Amino acid sequence: MTEETKKIFKVSLGKFYDNNYKKILLIPLLLSLISLVYIGYFYSQNNDFMLKDSSLTGGTTITLIGEINLQNLKSPLISQFPDITFREITDLKTGKPISVILETSAEQEEVKTSIEKILGYNLTTENSSVEFTGPSLSESFYKQLMVALLISFILMSLVVFILFRTFIPGIAVIFAAFSDLIMPLALLNFLEIRISAAGIAAFLMLIGYSVDTDILLTTRALRGKAGNLNQRLFGAFKTGTFMTLTALIAVLPAFFIVTNLPDSFRQIFLILAMGLFADLINTWITNMSIIKWYCDKKGIE
Amino acid sequence: MKLSWRIWLLIGVLMCSALLIAPSFETGAVIKSVEKNSTAYESGLRADFVIKSINGEAVTNIQDYQNIINSIFPTENKTRLTITTKDSEFILFTDQAPLIIVANVPKTKIKTGLDLSGGARAMVKAENKSLSSQELNDLITITSNRLNEFGIADVSVKSVSDLSGNNFMLIEVAGATPTDLTELVSKQGKFEAKIGNETVFIGGQEDITYVARTGEQSGIYSCGAATEGKACSFRFSITLSEKAAKNHANITNNLGIDPENPQYLSEKLDLYLDDQLTDSLYIGKDLKGSSTTQISISGSGVGSTEQEAYTVAEANMKKLQTILITGSLPYKLEIVKIDTISPVLGKEFIKNIIILALVVFALISISLFIKYRKIKITLAVILTMFSEAMITLAIAALIKWNLDAPSIAGIIAGMGTGVNDQIVILDEAISEEQVSLKERIKNAFFIILGAFFTIIAAMLPLFWAGAGMLKGFALTTIIGVCVGILITRPAFSEIVKKILKD
Repeated sequence: MTEETKKIFKVSLGKFYDNNYKKILLIPLLLSLISLVYIGYFYSQNNDFMLKDSSLTGGTTITLIGEINLQNLKSPLISQFPDITFREITDLKTGKPISVILETSAEQEEVKTSIEKILGYNLTTENSSVEFTGPSLSESFYKQLMVALLISFILMSLVVFILFRTFIPGIAVIFAAFSDLIMPLALLNFLEIRISAAGIAAFLMLIGYSVDTDILLTTRALRGKAGNLNQRLFGAFKTGTFMTLTALIAVLPAFFIVTNLPDSFRQIFLILAMGLFADLINTWITNMSIIKWYCDKKGIE
Repeated sequence: MKLSWRIWLLIGVLMCSALLIAPSFETGAVIKSVEKNSTAYESGLRADFVIKSINGEAVTNIQDYQNIINSIFPTENKTRLTITTKDSEFILFTDQAPLIIVANVPKTKIKTGLDLSGGARAMVKAENKSLSSQELNDLITITSNRLNEFGIADVSVKSVSDLSGNNFMLIEVAGATPTDLTELVSKQGKFEAKIGNETVFIGGQEDITYVARTGEQSGIYSCGAATEGKACSFRFSITLSEKAAKNHANITNNLGIDPENPQYLSEKLDLYLDDQLTDSLYIGKDLKGSSTTQISISGSGVGSTEQEAYTVAEANMKKLQTILITGSLPYKLEIVKIDTISPVLGKEFIKNIIILALVVFALISISLFIKYRKIKITLAVILTMFSEAMITLAIAALIKWNLDAPSIAGIIAGMGTGVNDQIVILDEAISEEQVSLKERIKNAFFIILGAFFTIIAAMLPLFWAGAGMLKGFALTTIIGVCVGILITRPAFSEIVKKILKD
């Protein structure tokens, strides 16, 4: 592409954007609406906003270290603990099984005794890890994390308003951050992924993490001096998408390459990755369209 | 080349960080604790000494230590044990393994939490009762005593509270976990010695002034066949207070002689632990009406083999002694959370984290190079990322924070926001805006400050929610972004200015 065609392309893209940015806004709005409706539907079905794992409902997680024959364990344990789930961990290089993780809502002693009977040896700290959370604790744990999520969102909103001191741009950022939360949540629910306490911490992180591109966009659009509005928006877009891409590069390997890490740990990165994807849509379509609309009304060029 | 103070600040802080983390290449086994009044204690061995060799055989790690000890003990006769530490030499004459707990010499000053080093954690609350802070403090004192008396080293017992005002006792044990932990921390520990329906004495210092735990007065005295497998019996003597002894005299005074066993009294002394009968002792007829202060307590342990029965009996004896010394709690306890993490998993975790870090560094370097086409810029970003992680770790070591899995996730998340900020600085610096480079970097800092405050705002509630179980995540993220905004970001913008000027 020559400089000339590049310029023509840029100009026509700018024109296209000028004419259609309000229409494009419909896409993310629709996505947010679908997410919200799905979460509402999910709530009516499950009486909760999400599926919770044993760290939030109470129960036992046992990690058995070594080459365990999963087939021998499965059927006797399933008949005794109907809600038990299994996950096998394999070595990164050799692909050999190195451990098995079991999760159930039952009490630890019960599960331990059954496993010991099947395996024929005692579970010690040399060959296993056992984590147990009582139902009363996990229930209050969950409630508190929800409160923390709410407080976190309110504090973030306050910071955004203090930064920009204008209503529409502030609301645009907050709406984008809200969509960054509900889109991954809807997707997690749809995939029936059970969320851990660490997963909720990831949502909190997302609140902080996802607004930096929105702040970049709004700052460049409202405070920038050089070029016209479209140029500044496009500049912010180039910087911001690269930021989100590097962030994705940082979080995705924990999910796809180094798969041996603890589940709760990997979930943090899964949720961050989903949120960052959502953030690409919510910053560069939703927030950008609203800011452009606002600038057009206010005569900022 | 003249460097600005911002870069000097970064270099200075990095050097301090290196000192704080202080990697050590020392080998040996460090003593974590020595059981009081044991032979090892009397020989002068103390916690924090680093064992270098035993009987001339070199000890480079905990495995060596265990191999050597296992090759010597158990033994019939007292043997001479020469333990050489870094600074001195200790000689023990003993027929049992030294009552010390050892660990590998830590490679750095970074403290690792449960997920990384293995260990146990328990959260305990009173059943059907909310504890006042005074009650909680009493509970913590009693539990700490129990754990210490039982010989569990490297344990921290503290109170935690959560957003809804619940108070818990949090117990954390590093390294190997005793199998008895659950019982030790959840037992109310109500010990009663009864004759018929009358209580003679109970556990605790008011009634029991001394509990023999070593020597002739305490130990396993017989083993034999039981209904299932084998059984071993233990006994140890205790000294009663005058009040308890008088009680004993009054109650036994009314007893007759057992017609079937004429050398004993007609009723037995029943021992109850948490309302369960653990043993019944015959009372010799000459003890009738005597205000004796010396009482022998006995009990047993069963197992499928004699060896197992012996171990169980020994453990039961230790538990009972512990409870007799520390007394009971005025309420029942409930364990709301208990995790025992294998040290094996922790090692695996650290290995995987290092692989993950390398993969992430490599991928980010590649994408930065594709975008900016400059080795220098790529290096600057990567080195800044690395500095941030290192300074965060150093601060964690400084405040003695135990790094757990959430803390590590927080460090990675902090690094992620760090890279984002650096991209903002770079793009502002190379942008075509018609203002000075200084002005542009100032703009970048407005954006960075905004992002900084939103991250802090978002993570702050995690400090209190859920009794601080996820505090590490919030803490390291916040340390990371603070290091970024105060130290690495200013230095990075100076480096970028220098690179762009060239």
